[in-house]
Amino acid sequence: MNPLELTLGIMTAVGGFVDISELVFAAKAGSQFGYALIWVFGFSTVGIMVFSEMSGRVAAIAKQPVFNLMRHRLGLKLGLVTLAASIISNLITCAAEIGGVSLIANYLAGVPYLLAAVVLTALIILSIWVLPFKWIERVYGLLGLFMITFAAALVAIHPPWNRIAGGLTPQVPHGLSTKEMLTFAYFGVAIVSAVLFPYEVYFYSSGAIEEGWSRKDLLTNRVTSIAGMGLGSLLAISILASSAQLFGPANVDPAVPGSAALQAAIPFGRWGLICALLGMFFAVAGAAVETCMANAYSIAQFFGWAWGRHKKPWEAPRFTITWILLFVIALAIVITGVDVMTLVDLAILFSILVLPLTYLPLLLLSGDRHYMGGQVNGRLAKTLGWVYFAIIVAAALAAIPLYLLTSGGNG
Amino acid sequence: MWRSSLLLALLLAACSKGPQADLSAIKEARSLAAEWALVNEQATQGKLTATYVDTMHQTLREQLETASAALTVPDAPYGQEIRAILKQPDNSAPAALRVHVARLKQMEDQLESA
Repeated sequence: MNPLELTLGIMTAVGGFVDISELVFAAKAGSQFGYALIWVFGFSTVGIMVFSEMSGRVAAIAKQPVFNLMRHRLGLKLGLVTLAASIISNLITCAAEIGGVSLIANYLAGVPYLLAAVVLTALIILSIWVLPFKWIERVYGLLGLFMITFAAALVAIHPPWNRIAGGLTPQVPHGLSTKEMLTFAYFGVAIVSAVLFPYEVYFYSSGAIEEGWSRKDLLTNRVTSIAGMGLGSLLAISILASSAQLFGPANVDPAVPGSAALQAAIPFGRWGLICALLGMFFAVAGAAVETCMANAYSIAQFFGWAWGRHKKPWEAPRFTITWILLFVIALAIVITGVDVMTLVDLAILFSILVLPLTYLPLLLLSGDRHYMGGQVNGRLAKTLGWVYFAIIVAAALAAIPLYLLTSGGNG
Repeated sequence: MWRSSLLLALLLAACSKGPQADLSAIKEARSLAAEWALVNEQATQGKLTATYVDTMHQTLREQLETASAALTVPDAPYGQEIRAILKQPDNSAPAALRVHVARLKQMEDQLESA
């Protein structure tokens, strides 16, 4: 295990953890419910650690990415349903990320929103075309480390640390009306969905294949999954806690993605604002890359096409055309003028519905000795995996009723 | 059977109009005005860039207009309050904006407890 590679891997995971949905829901959750939803972030982060580790292990041992094995395990019909659902979910998420990054460019440099969407999509496509896989991951992930500004801002405003620590305990705030209780539940479901987005495991496991992971990379996989996701989650929790401290008492329920940057401006001034916006810009751009590539990986793997950025674009032509086309479709969605926050809501809703279909095959595969040999799920991974799967199913069943009853969390 | 269905439909239609139906737009407007005040407060302290402030003003104003247009009873006191906020200049004093925020919050709380 190369310590430099490992450190870079962890830092990349940290910088790439937060996306537009986490940014929005963390800020809104803090302003509306104080520190009471921190535990949902902590709880969901353990879930994504468990499933990321599993998907990396499956890729390293079975040498096959999740979607390839999914078709074999689920059969063609259910596999196709999963593919269609994840394509829709990832496409909406990708459009939300492109919309988000364009808005942030608007806050940073005043570039008109639609022009920014077109130019940035072209630049992202160019970066994927030009850079090798490892550097695609690292450029966005490492520049996303500007997001650490949010953690520093939280420290600088001297928050009530005891109340933040108290937020890690599972709780429902006292004295909520029925409507507020439903909104609280919707936020809980939305945070689970945002942290456990399906694209994350598709991208992570395909990335492991791209980088040629083998048995010797299992420790790297485990450390990256646990440390990277854990530290990344602290950034999301920082946004929530700052929001509880600064926005809640001021009656602000952050309505646009750019509002979160105020959290860094208040203690650090202009440079804090600029660093926060840069962190948001690269983290959200990185998520756009991951969602689109995860979709292209899924499609190519399902139909057995040649795929991967380790190949020259013309060596995997169908894969190349697919990811470019997916970016163009996501851009087209943004250009229709649909509000970014609406896209974020839809991304959250569709993703939670796809989550059980994503994680069930992964659980089955990683527990199958035929594929995994001695690296099959241990007792802890198996128990955690099934517990989280049960919670994901419950969250998926509750998502649509809660969305309708709370008007998408707007009360 | 059809009578009870019709009654239910009418009840739902009746429920979808009026102050209760406007509650989420009122909440949104209150939050947007509070955010506007926060932005102006930080801007006067020199903590924000001009580009950020201009973009936030534009976005907040657009969303306030959307919230105002979504009201089913635009002439209600909350509708007048939202229109009063929209008449404020971009660089309005935070205290002036917070007066409107407090009024909207009061109306919001009354509707929620009704």
